[in-house]
Amino acid sequence: MKRVFGVRATAAAVAIAAGVGAGLASFGVFGAHGAVPRTGPLSVRVGLKNPPTAFVRGDGLFTEKAGRSQLGAAVSGAMIGPLSPVAVRSSDGRLVAYNTWHELRKVDSEQSFSKQAIADGEALGTPSLRVHDDSGKDVVLAQGAYSAAWRQDGSIAFVKGVDHDFRAGRPYLGQVVVRDGIHGGDVAWTTEPAHYVVYAWAGDRLLLYRVGLGEKLELLVAEGPGMLRPLADGSAIAVSPDATHVAVLSQNATTVRVLDVASGRELSWLDVTTAMPPLGWVGYSGSWVGDHIVAPASAGLAVLHVGSGSLELEQVLGLDHAQFPAGVQEPRFVDGAGNEIAATADIPPSKGNTGVSFLLQCDRIARICERGEPAPAKEWLRPVDDAPGASDEGGH
Amino acid sequence: MKVRAAIAAAVIAAALTIPANAFAYLTWFEFARQSNTASTLTMVWQYGTGYYGTQSWRAGSGASTDACWIGHGWLPVGYYDLKGHWDYYDGTIKGRVFYLQNKPCWNGTWRTELFVHSEETAGQGQYCPTAGDDPYCWEGPSDYYSNGCIKVSRAGSPSDLRLVHDGWHGKRGDYRHGYFTVGNWLYVHD
Repeated sequence: MKRVFGVRATAAAVAIAAGVGAGLASFGVFGAHGAVPRTGPLSVRVGLKNPPTAFVRGDGLFTEKAGRSQLGAAVSGAMIGPLSPVAVRSSDGRLVAYNTWHELRKVDSEQSFSKQAIADGEALGTPSLRVHDDSGKDVVLAQGAYSAAWRQDGSIAFVKGVDHDFRAGRPYLGQVVVRDGIHGGDVAWTTEPAHYVVYAWAGDRLLLYRVGLGEKLELLVAEGPGMLRPLADGSAIAVSPDATHVAVLSQNATTVRVLDVASGRELSWLDVTTAMPPLGWVGYSGSWVGDHIVAPASAGLAVLHVGSGSLELEQVLGLDHAQFPAGVQEPRFVDGAGNEIAATADIPPSKGNTGVSFLLQCDRIARICERGEPAPAKEWLRPVDDAPGASDEGGH
Repeated sequence: MKVRAAIAAAVIAAALTIPANAFAYLTWFEFARQSNTASTLTMVWQYGTGYYGTQSWRAGSGASTDACWIGHGWLPVGYYDLKGHWDYYDGTIKGRVFYLQNKPCWNGTWRTELFVHSEETAGQGQYCPTAGDDPYCWEGPSDYYSNGCIKVSRAGSPSDLRLVHDGWHGKRGDYRHGYFTVGNWLYVHD
């Protein structure tokens, strides 16, 4: 992977110096609480009482309307990390599909398999998808399955493992299937078993990952059974609200491109290492509302502005690295104007403390975040994503 | 002369019957996570009770320091088994590669299909057709970035990759290739 320095870096440095000067000059005029979003550090304070979105934690689903609902199993993104939402609500708002993990063999993450007498091929756990409805009914959608995406018509796409169990020393191979409603039959949309992760629907086109050696991510588009084509090497940040475009991220996490999903045509691009201010990287799994995209970034959060044939870094929201060493994951706009952002911040274990997660809600104009109570990281505290059509906000 | 030849033949025959690793050292690697592009990979070999030799190289892993971020964060801490080694691997990753076991990070996310490798062709060469970043060409320090794998430099002669590769074979006396397991081959720590 290469990052370009030299002339570009010099130009960037000059631009930064000019920008900082201009920023300092204008700060006094508009102030920190003006209507114009500005780059700067986020101030994080305790006190998030009412999260702006439904969320899951452990075996609970939390919504503003119903409070806590008991899930049939604890949520877990063991097979997906932040590549795909842990829990996602159907377009009609009635159903929440969520990922679970049934541990078959206790694994000490600090020790090697051989030290724990775990044999090659030994079953370690089973991922499953479950669906919870608003009456409290909770059913298994599929065992040996993970990463779900609802289509607007109620069909659901997910990865179904060739073998139900995840095994030591083996990749988890599966096929991407689309089920016509939760009680329908499965139709395979992929033809070759591989390590897939379903990302999201873009209209009737399904976006999915193929994870390769070295965790190389390849973003693919499926238009129907057997109709699979590569879209980009790298990952997806967000689908546009009209589901026609997707913002993709290069393998080295430094270049963002907006692509037309139907044709694969590039509409705009941005190298964040030479933007102002420059960023080391941006992360996948962000959100898009109106003409704004939010993504995790080396500094904290990056907000991009999508124009007609242009892509610009509008704002960088800095998070204190000492306070949030792993930054934030899966930021979502939670208002139609694209000013309010919800995200999860994970704090890795250190000095005998276990890892924890917080929900954050940030006002990007005031640059103030409120954070909720900490939860053990293994409880997978995550916002519930909305499928297209379930809200006014953009696609994840 | 006949006696000398007979003795020489006997010595050679004896040498050939001794397992290749009969005089090998217990050898493993340690990866100290310092930054994504400037961490340290150290080969450690024990040449006597309480006596250790070491050799270290600059190495990289991931683009961020969140080990739970598939395809983006550096690899999780802990001990890893080696599950295979190839000299002319010809997958997405090519050339001299060391294949690591799967590993869960601290929130339970599984990291899989991770290697120790560099940027070279299956034939251990360099393929640099463009002025930009070529995946099988070591252009410079930015190549230490990865999706999670540990990467060492392919620049110079001998390259760090060659020193890692030859060091492993020479110190351990283990010349196997393909799938095999070596327990606790790598220890990743902060």
